[in-house]
Amino acid sequence: MTGGVLDPVVDALARFDGALASVDVDAAVDVVERLLDDGTDAVTVLVDVIASAQRTVGDRWQRGEWTVAEEHAATAVSVSATEAVARKVRRTPATRGRVVVACAEREWHALPAMIVGTALRADGWDITLLGASTLPVRLSQYLHDLGPDATAVSCSILGALPTTRRFIEASTAAGIPVVVGGSAFGPDDRRAAALGATAWAAGAREAIAAVHALPTVVAAAPPLSSAAAAEQAAMELAHHRLVSALRDRWSLAAQIVTTDQHPLDSVHDVAADVVNQSLHAVSAALLTGDPRTVSDTATWVADLLAARSVDRSLVGELGRLLVADLRDYPLARALVEDHWTDPITTGPR
Amino acid sequence: MSGSKQSAEPSAVVMPPLGAQTPDVPTEQDLLAQARQRAALAGEITTELAGSLNLRRTILRLFSLITPDLADWAMLAMVDHRGDQLALYGGKEHTFATSVTRSAVEDLGVGRVLRSGQSELLHVALRDDDDYSSVADGLDSMIPHDQLRDEATSLRPADVLGLALTARGSTVGVLVIVRGAGRGFPDEDVALAEQVAGRAAMALDSARLYEDRTRVASVLQASLRPPTLPRVARLRLSARFRAAAEHMDIGGDFYDVHGSGRDWVLVTGDVCGKGVEAAVLTGRARQSIRTAAYFDRSPHSVLAALNAVLYDEESDKFVTAVCARVRPADDGNSARVDLAAAGHPAPLVLRANGVVEQAMVGGTVAGVLPEVGYRETTVELRPGDTMLMFTDGIYEARGAAGFYGMDRLVALLPAYAGAGPDAVCEAVEQDVVEFLAGRAHDDMALLAVACGR
Repeated sequence: MTGGVLDPVVDALARFDGALASVDVDAAVDVVERLLDDGTDAVTVLVDVIASAQRTVGDRWQRGEWTVAEEHAATAVSVSATEAVARKVRRTPATRGRVVVACAEREWHALPAMIVGTALRADGWDITLLGASTLPVRLSQYLHDLGPDATAVSCSILGALPTTRRFIEASTAAGIPVVVGGSAFGPDDRRAAALGATAWAAGAREAIAAVHALPTVVAAAPPLSSAAAAEQAAMELAHHRLVSALRDRWSLAAQIVTTDQHPLDSVHDVAADVVNQSLHAVSAALLTGDPRTVSDTATWVADLLAARSVDRSLVGELGRLLVADLRDYPLARALVEDHWTDPITTGPR
Repeated sequence: MSGSKQSAEPSAVVMPPLGAQTPDVPTEQDLLAQARQRAALAGEITTELAGSLNLRRTILRLFSLITPDLADWAMLAMVDHRGDQLALYGGKEHTFATSVTRSAVEDLGVGRVLRSGQSELLHVALRDDDDYSSVADGLDSMIPHDQLRDEATSLRPADVLGLALTARGSTVGVLVIVRGAGRGFPDEDVALAEQVAGRAAMALDSARLYEDRTRVASVLQASLRPPTLPRVARLRLSARFRAAAEHMDIGGDFYDVHGSGRDWVLVTGDVCGKGVEAAVLTGRARQSIRTAAYFDRSPHSVLAALNAVLYDEESDKFVTAVCARVRPADDGNSARVDLAAAGHPAPLVLRANGVVEQAMVGGTVAGVLPEVGYRETTVELRPGDTMLMFTDGIYEARGAAGFYGMDRLVALLPAYAGAGPDAVCEAVEQDVVEFLAGRAHDDMALLAVACGR
């Protein structure tokens, strides 16, 4: 307000945020291109402007301020901005090896992979981006055709962790080291290590460092703990049955009060999403041995419902329904009993 | 955490590397342990080498498997079937690669091994103990490259082993291995090395064959892949393609954008069949459309030309397509779209207010009748409107509840009013693929356009 000199990156972030909110592709691309022209390095633009602003997009949906469509529209703006950075960094020749950057099946957030890929390209790596939701067979085809130095897998939703594990198998079976990252991996390398990844990266900057430190050749990832993996596979097969059973019995539909404000996010959709995520969280805990996926998801559900003025006790109700419906899956059931932190004993019967 | 399994295993004994010269005569136990070590190594190498079909990755893995257990230093010479070159890989840096002419190695040991298919164990006679870099006969003969030879020489090896890599009746290369001072090649280790070489030869030859095919395929495939969309002033474009064969990026559905300035032709189509055969026909159809659009961008004449070309080929092949000529206004606030279709589903227009309209346009499939007149219809795109072109793979996607269907597509779109082409394509792709829930599907293509900025 006093007219002092603003940090150009902080200033750009504010303007970029505004461009996302008004779905203004030109303004967003302009912010990014100007920063680059003024000499800001590409990785800073990607991480401190685009990725940083994009985080608030998800938060706005979570708080019920934005519809899914608004979230998609804003994300498309970030995609255009990232493409602008990519156009710029492609003008310098790649000087290092090649990295294949992929999103596992069910991972529809292609932007984080695009940001990581562009950051690696800025660092001199030749990049092959495989886009959203890819099957392991397609990844394998690329790995054997290209023989890259590394695979990078971005995973932001827990439901994509099982295929991410398949990606890790595909990559390490070919001796190719694999670095993983994304919000589904949580705040440390525990899940990444459990799934057999060669390295974990917290963000695009860390991914650059991780790719530098990778060994040339790795051994095939060892098999997962058999009991938990078997139960996870069985849950995966029964996923749709479990989702519909939970959705039908959970009393969310009767309690939600703010549907008028969010005509596009119907109760039905929110309920389906929450139930889906909860089961994926249990699955992820089985697969990785990290029960925080369950407790974090319970917190996420509570926040989501609170933002939509829904009775908080519904979180506990969902926990109890999960315990009941997972009776055929003893390890999964124990995970919910022990880690679905919201008081599981309260709430409507 | 029972731990019984772990405690049953012998505590870690530091084993001397294979071939190390020891002061004591090895006991029976030592010999048994060494035999076990050799068997385990051979087994591991066999399993691990099978994992990759890529030549470079197979070579890197071979080096990581054999060093340091089998060798302290290794180099690979591979025949390049396309020319008079011998590719050299490895050395101290496993990723190192270079090449020498084959004629340069003809009279050397490495050339002999290549011609005869017989492995050779050569002695290294370092002329001067204080001068490693001086000429050493065995290393000279097996390592036809100065830098690599210097690396090997600095290890002061006693022997160098040149192993013939013979697979499927041809000697495809030579694996040269060296052990440093104080570590020789006893007969058992030479036998092990020959065994490893046999397995490596198979893996390397398979990878070489695969790579030859890949090179041909990728060159041919490049022209059949979906194009990168141009950046067009005053228009926003987005597209998606998913092949029926998920591991390939080519198929029978296609989209293209041609034009310049304020006059663009957008086309989406579908040839009969799928897979590689369909992709080849797709390539021809796309080329015909490109050429036709070069002379006349009116959709009816583009499709008439496509029809005539396909019909004249006298094949039983046919193509469906929808062609849109998009002309944005100077201010970028609107665009006039002229449409014609040849047996292809008409595009949907998602208005800024959420209303979904299907353009009224239809016509005969291209390639079946000698002469077809295509009728055009015009649609006006205003700010916030998105026109979506698609192929039948979208609404014919079959999930647990039957076909995805046009109704589901039309019902999905209003939520994305004003969100723009990229958000619309992403939403449709995600909804259809999740509806499939892992089931097989036909080729799917989407192409969306909006005016403005």
